[in-house]
Amino acid sequence: MQAAFPESGLLIFAKRECDTCAMVEPVLGELARTGQPVVVLTQDDPAFPASLSPIDDTALEHSFRFDIEAVPTVIRLENGKEVARTFGWNRAEWSRVSGVNGLGAGLPDMRPGCGSKTREPGVYEELVARFGETGFASRRITIGTWDDEIEACFDRGWSDGLPVVPPTDARIIRMLSGTARKPDEIIGLVPPNLLPITVEKVAINAVMAGCKPEYMPVVLAALEAALEPEATMHGVLCTTCFSGPILVVNGPIAREIGMNSGINCLGQGNRANATIGRALQLIIRNVGGGRPGELDRAVLGGPGKLTFCFAEDESDPTWTPLSVARGIAPGKNAITLFQGDGIQGFIDQRSRTPEQLTKSLAMALLAVGHPKLCEFTNAMLVLVPEHYAIFRDAGWDRDRITRELHAAMVRSGADVVQGAHGIGEGIDPKRRDEAAVNKFWPEGLLIVHAGGQAGLFSAICAGWTGGRFRHESKPVTREIRP
Amino acid sequence: MKSGITMRDPTAETASALRARANPLTTLQGRTVALMDIGKMRGDEFIDRLEQLCHERGVATRRYKKPTNTRVAPREMIADIAAHCQAVIIALSDCGSCTSCSTHDLSDLDKLGLVGVSVLTEEFRHAFEQQKSAIGFDAASIYVPHPMQNKTTAELHAFAEQSVDEILSAICTAEAPNPVRRAA
Repeated sequence: MQAAFPESGLLIFAKRECDTCAMVEPVLGELARTGQPVVVLTQDDPAFPASLSPIDDTALEHSFRFDIEAVPTVIRLENGKEVARTFGWNRAEWSRVSGVNGLGAGLPDMRPGCGSKTREPGVYEELVARFGETGFASRRITIGTWDDEIEACFDRGWSDGLPVVPPTDARIIRMLSGTARKPDEIIGLVPPNLLPITVEKVAINAVMAGCKPEYMPVVLAALEAALEPEATMHGVLCTTCFSGPILVVNGPIAREIGMNSGINCLGQGNRANATIGRALQLIIRNVGGGRPGELDRAVLGGPGKLTFCFAEDESDPTWTPLSVARGIAPGKNAITLFQGDGIQGFIDQRSRTPEQLTKSLAMALLAVGHPKLCEFTNAMLVLVPEHYAIFRDAGWDRDRITRELHAAMVRSGADVVQGAHGIGEGIDPKRRDEAAVNKFWPEGLLIVHAGGQAGLFSAICAGWTGGRFRHESKPVTREIRP
Repeated sequence: MKSGITMRDPTAETASALRARANPLTTLQGRTVALMDIGKMRGDEFIDRLEQLCHERGVATRRYKKPTNTRVAPREMIADIAAHCQAVIIALSDCGSCTSCSTHDLSDLDKLGLVGVSVLTEEFRHAFEQQKSAIGFDAASIYVPHPMQNKTTAELHAFAEQSVDEILSAICTAEAPNPVRRAA
């Protein structure tokens, strides 16, 4: 497009809505009368300035190609190359660039200009997509003029059943601005098909999930956690059980990106909570090939397989955050992936002491999976503030609560072996004579503090059955990096 | 057909960007093939002969006619075809709107599990490819000469005779085209 301009002369970018541009309109006329080629490009009103037959640059292509940041901008071309530039109004600078002295008699010596339209929010990425070089490696999919882009995504099997945001180049560019990592960096192999995934593909799926760019570090960390061998994402996805990844976010980033750790935090209504979990599941579906009925063989599945992500409430200084309990330094951002099912509500509005509440919680936790199955699954207890307050006011911290809960769930082998109480399910009959059988592995009970300030209603999420292989399938915690 | 917005593929790109069509049937015995007349002029003459040729081969058919070639088939028609037939032949597209609408019909029926094929005139080969790409569906097609509107009935019947083997082989693996017949 630059070929349309004179080899040597002045290019002036302007817009009518800029007061400085309007002020210098007579100066543009002065420059034109010197006889040197002067081309004015207008960003907003093709009729401005009428006296100089401006080039319509409302599409902003020229402004983008010349990387205009402010208007007015004056550029001197010599032999087709830019040799000088100034922006705003500054008599001395305009003289230097134009080679004409005494311009704009009566005008102040200088006046700042306005921002270029190319730099308005959201515009630059569109221009890169339209006129620039995205460098994206992913295949282009162009749909018909009259086709609905959201229906096109459904038709191609890219959706989890809800509408996805069409992954256009501009949206992907914006999403990638949320991470310092290069688009072509490979994060790992995504199950079940074990295919490589780049940061670019993560961004595409994050766009589709409805994420904002600032969620990208969390999505990337969630994916890295899912790809850890001990996360057993392959099994979690393909299993006939209910499970999916449950994501818990810790650290300042949760507040920075507006995650919900309070009222209804396990429910709907918060964009970050909803879309980060969804992005991970879309990646598993689209890149990994994990689609229900194909390799995802869940008998029933669960609503958490659309998305299940929330933040821990770290506002109570007596509470040790989950990430810290799992080895991450305090104050660091981290994500924990727990392989779990939907929630089982725990209602106790009568316990007044930590001992009472411990017994009560233990009774409910014993039901995880099946009351007679032990060391078979892990579990996550989402302890609400009012329940935690009962422990805290008695001086119990996370460690004490965890320890006491484990102790309260110990039963004899005879009580839980297969066949006991006339119930076939249970632990191996060979363990009948064991005096103390634990319900969970010592590290298998994760407690998270979250929820609204009012309501004695905590939640239990059962872990998936792969948790019975203590050293093979474990929750994973990863630090979130930019 | 002009292009709309461009997106990037979110998948691992191990498969075609086009959705694979339903698998062709292994036999036409005991199956019913829908003959969908898209409602364009003269198409019925081609389909009349195609219907006879199917019956001569012992292939059961069920005839449908769209109210207009300029729109996709009514939902009731799609549901009826899916309820009574196991494959579909859509004919005969010789214009832009028929090509676009009939490819959508083919895709909609495919999503319901019906293998299908569209019969078009040669001139619309490119339009069909464009529409396939826009819908993202690896649709099957058979072409007859263009133009067809100025042909005699006998000539349209001849088109059907020349293409019937190929059409049936597109929906059934047991119906391989007969090279002797095609050469004739």
